[in-house]
Amino acid sequence: MNLPPLLIEKLPSGLRVVAIQKRGLPLFHARLSLPAGACEDPRGKAGLASFTTELLRRGTKRRPARDVDDMIESMGAQLYEGASMEEAALALTVPFELAARSLDALLEVALEPLFDEAEVASARRRTVAGLQSDLDEAASVAGRAVVTLGYGAGHPYAHPGAGFRRDVETFVREDALAFHATRFQQEGALLAVVGPAEPDELLALAQEKIAQWAPSWPAHSQRAPLSFSALEPRPGLRGVIVHKADSTQSQLRIVAPGLPRNTPRFADAVVANTALGGGFTSLLVDAIRVDRGLSYSVSTRLHMNRRAGLAVFSSFTKNGTLRELADVAFEKMRGYAATGPDEDALDKARRYLAGLFPLGLESHEALAEQVADSLLDGLGLSHLTSYRQSVLAVTSEGAREMAAALSPAKDGAQIVVVGDADNALRALEGLCPLEVRKLEEFG
Amino acid sequence: MPLDPKDFLVEEYELPNGLQIRLLQDRSLPVATLYSFFRVGSRNERPGITGISHLFEHMMFNGSKKYGPKEFDRRLESAGGSSNAYTSNDVTAYYEDFASDALPVVLDLEADRMASLTIDDVSLGREREVVKEERRFRTDNDIDGMMEEAMGGLAFLAHPYRWPVIGWMTDIDAITRQDCERYFRTYYAPNNCILVLVGDFDRDNALARIQGLYSAIPRGEILPAVATGEPPQKGERRAIIRYPAQAPALLFGYRAPGGHEKDALVLDLIETALSSGEGARLKRALVYEQELCVEAHAGFGWRMDPGLFEISLKLNPGTDPGRAETTLLAELSSFCERELPEKELERAKNLLRAQLLRGLATTNGRAHSIGQMEVMLGSWRAMLDLPDRYTAITAAEVQRVARKIFASHLRNVVTLVPGEAEAGPA
Repeated sequence: MNLPPLLIEKLPSGLRVVAIQKRGLPLFHARLSLPAGACEDPRGKAGLASFTTELLRRGTKRRPARDVDDMIESMGAQLYEGASMEEAALALTVPFELAARSLDALLEVALEPLFDEAEVASARRRTVAGLQSDLDEAASVAGRAVVTLGYGAGHPYAHPGAGFRRDVETFVREDALAFHATRFQQEGALLAVVGPAEPDELLALAQEKIAQWAPSWPAHSQRAPLSFSALEPRPGLRGVIVHKADSTQSQLRIVAPGLPRNTPRFADAVVANTALGGGFTSLLVDAIRVDRGLSYSVSTRLHMNRRAGLAVFSSFTKNGTLRELADVAFEKMRGYAATGPDEDALDKARRYLAGLFPLGLESHEALAEQVADSLLDGLGLSHLTSYRQSVLAVTSEGAREMAAALSPAKDGAQIVVVGDADNALRALEGLCPLEVRKLEEFG
Repeated sequence: MPLDPKDFLVEEYELPNGLQIRLLQDRSLPVATLYSFFRVGSRNERPGITGISHLFEHMMFNGSKKYGPKEFDRRLESAGGSSNAYTSNDVTAYYEDFASDALPVVLDLEADRMASLTIDDVSLGREREVVKEERRFRTDNDIDGMMEEAMGGLAFLAHPYRWPVIGWMTDIDAITRQDCERYFRTYYAPNNCILVLVGDFDRDNALARIQGLYSAIPRGEILPAVATGEPPQKGERRAIIRYPAQAPALLFGYRAPGGHEKDALVLDLIETALSSGEGARLKRALVYEQELCVEAHAGFGWRMDPGLFEISLKLNPGTDPGRAETTLLAELSSFCERELPEKELERAKNLLRAQLLRGLATTNGRAHSIGQMEVMLGSWRAMLDLPDRYTAITAAEVQRVARKIFASHLRNVVTLVPGEAEAGPA
């Protein structure tokens, strides 16, 4: 599969610039990725990457927050700013005639934040309130628990990106300043621009703006490298129940160690996962939703970060059928780990992934994100151009090996339930050792 | 800045059985999207079978004459596609995103289920349980869902917008196979459907295939009239929900015009001015300046019949709902008293136009926009001059419509009060 015309340039600082031509709608999109993701959160400061990134727009050295909003939104743009596990990103889309203006706005926000004391305090209160409110959503709590428990204490990935209230409450201006000063350098960053002009014109525009903003943008990082140890295998099955009062439904997750995104077995892994719980006709959807009507939603997902990953089963059901859901999930996943997909399921998964892949490159935003991530993850553009061939070439043997290696139900898996604890304890009795934890622990 | 019709060459056809067809080619990527819009939603229901439109959406994936149970998505995924659907108060839409060479399979699957859907007690029983789980997830255990449900019952006394799209639990339990069969015959006929195909396909080939597959499906019976009568609201109405939530919440619903009425576009602009972006009025005042809310959101969705302009406030834990309400009403009052400054008006227009454009960036987005325009405004062409119509809105019009809508006697308020949480285990 061909990508649209594009140019990539790596500057001496280590900053990469990608210019992509996309004809059709007269839109311009810019996305700045910086190596300042949640995995960089200092110990005891979970959520700092996200907090810092969201604070960027709350005032710059040139204008207060209100004027920053006006600068961006008067162009018809909404600025995305957020931190994933690996990187911080800022992105916006504007009519093409506003391309230069939008790049100035993006770079000003990213590179010259003020971190005003009053804004930091206000953001801290807002973030803490938001984290508490999120405890009302059982699925959100389950997601936070999965990351925290799945990677295990001490791992750089073992916390939700937004952090915990207990950490956010300690954030002060100096935390944000230090995080920004040590992680928002050019080295390791990537600026992607997408628009209807020729790639060389887009590249020239981006380079011109980078040069203009260079005085505010140090080239190199002074950060200490992170330490990533392999996920420690822990035999047996164990479970955590997070008590949520008055729930008539229980969220169930089953999580086990997975693979990092740069695994050479990437295609085998995604095909095997699709046949298990990725598509709407997967083994688990069939068994749990279609055949038994136990749940509205069933899936397995591979959380693939750069240095480690998780395999996660997700579903929910009314309290009265929690045990049945868990039993069916384990039975089907263990069976699948032993046999892998049959030929029909394998073929369906391959074609499904190959057929839908181009849809993920349709919009300006998706195109920039996919290209940026492929480069930042060290996979190269061939990851995108050869994706369809790679998944179509997955063999029965390759899928079977990955079905076993990436089963969420394999030895060492953990169960996470968010719901009424008394009900869950009764329902899951005898399945594995269970521990009840408080909702607030994950918020 | 209207959309250029040269870049938006939608072709229109109608089969003798009434099926409307809209085709838009885009060969830039080897993908396509097919939407089937049926003009049926919860407004076409009656008490006792509320939720049947949504339950029926689920039933549409359970087999037809040519393709047995489980075959619809199995064939589709094997051909490199995926499907989904949604049901609203007014419409039920089914779509497939797919690799372009899967078009013959996709059309065959869609036409076959329109022609000969299988409805049996076993699959109905299973889907009923799935829908009940969906209801528990989206409404019974979800604060936004339970507040929306309360708002419908509060704001509408007679109109079918009174009940939730997903239906009451007791009705979901009570719907019979015969109800479903009657529903299918009435509403899933070609003359009640708009088919929209966008993406990489050969026009003549696609059209011939559609004609071949759909022409033999008979036109349906005359559609029953919808009981749209709703007495005028003569005073503020209130409801309270107690639930063990972390924080209080407020949902305001003001009676508003239908999507096809002239003032609807002005309300789109008011919605944007109030809550799109970080600099929007409500977010600035309630979230940043007063720090009363985690979220402040205004929403006006186009509906066939007069609906609601809603404002939802998710309060900070410990915040007094009365104080948040007073602050919101003061903001709305200020919005009504003074014309929107030119800068804010332009900001809202630019955001709206950009949102329109971004919505057209994917085949799915274009297909959905075409279908939505057909259903709500009578023609996809309405989309072409929509940017200009937004541009032409004046501050005086905004003020006139705001004053009309934000009248206290048209207000409905649902308050969520955190109740006593059950004690957790030690």
